[in-house]
Amino acid sequence: MTTRNVLGVAAVTCGAVLLMAIPSAAHHSFAAEWDSTKCRDFTGVLRKLDWQNPHPYFFVDVKENGKVEQWSFQAYSPVTLRRNGTDRQVFLDNVDKDVWIRGCLSKTGKAHAAAAGTLKFSDGVMRQVGQIQD
Amino acid sequence: MTRRHVHRVLATLIVAAALAVWVQGLGAQSAQSAKDQYTIKPLPPGGPTPRLADGHPDFTGQWFPNGAGQGVSGRFGVDPAAIPQFDRKLTPEEPPQFRPEALAKIKSMTATELELSKSSVNCMPRGVPAIWLQNPYTTFIVHKPGLLAQLYEVLNNWRLIHTDGRPLPKSPEPFFHGNSTTRWEGDTLVVESTGFDERTYIMPNGWYHSDDLKVTERYTRPSMNYLIVEIMVEDPKVLLKPWKSAPRRWTLGNGEIFEFYCTNNLELEELEKLRQQELQQKK
Repeated sequence: MTTRNVLGVAAVTCGAVLLMAIPSAAHHSFAAEWDSTKCRDFTGVLRKLDWQNPHPYFFVDVKENGKVEQWSFQAYSPVTLRRNGTDRQVFLDNVDKDVWIRGCLSKTGKAHAAAAGTLKFSDGVMRQVGQIQD
Repeated sequence: MTRRHVHRVLATLIVAAALAVWVQGLGAQSAQSAKDQYTIKPLPPGGPTPRLADGHPDFTGQWFPNGAGQGVSGRFGVDPAAIPQFDRKLTPEEPPQFRPEALAKIKSMTATELELSKSSVNCMPRGVPAIWLQNPYTTFIVHKPGLLAQLYEVLNNWRLIHTDGRPLPKSPEPFFHGNSTTRWEGDTLVVESTGFDERTYIMPNGWYHSDDLKVTERYTRPSMNYLIVEIMVEDPKVLLKPWKSAPRRWTLGNGEIFEFYCTNNLELEELEKLRQQELQQKK
């Protein structure tokens, strides 16, 4: 093998090895109704639960600027919540207790309504209850 | 180039390659370590194909549209390898080739109209073949000689496919799940269906169908834990040529399906408001 050939093989081998080390990427999407640019944190007290298909809603008294207002939060379907370990009983066990929610506002500007992405009850466990946007 | 130069270049390349291998090794170790931390992993194939008394594969089971054999939505610790139903590199799925007028109709839909057309929003049955192409929930199949019963968790829909060789009706009623006839090709059950309700969509992207829609489903169960479903869509009024899905894999669950009557989607009201806004903007 000539010097040029040896260099060529070595360069190709190095290039192949370096290429194999590059990781790949992924992406996801969001529905039409909620505004992924208007997501925020909420803290309050869970007051009630409306467990229905295709989406359950839970209602939280959120205290802001010295005023308490009740917000409704939409979640995944009951089937999905049941399978991911945040079933109806988990919500019921946390009524009248503190809750933290990360959610996104409605595109129509509907007052006091949001789609919940993640939440924590007083046990501090992070739970996914809807699509995460950020 | 002198011999010394050659040696220097070679030495540099070898060091670079060694570094790359080392870095890649670290990456592989960290990937392996991440894999070990996943609590939801791909379901292995399992034992041999179960069979009916007549020797044909038995498709009975609760089937998840993912590789895990359990729910993956909204869960942490899911191995990404356990999510897809097929490998887009190994079995690529060609996009449908629409007739120009069909493509124009689809493109004319606004984002909200598209959303309102979705079964997951309007609570209409997904229908066939959408139930196998755009359904994140489970399907329970009860299979016996002469009958394949499909119990769809989503919307509590069900479908009975008679596998006794009966032909397609000459003048089929338009059903959401169509009218079906079946045949075996070896271990593959082939289901051909015609006569579909025109309110369903093939995919949740505006892909509508005509009254000429013909759907061919091919079912195989290569092992205990895997069900493979391939779909062919023929619709000359909408497509320039038939469309074939990749062989999509469903995995065996623990048998639990839940009630899911879709009765009160509050999203519809909001989406109607958005639609009205879109119409106002068009004027």
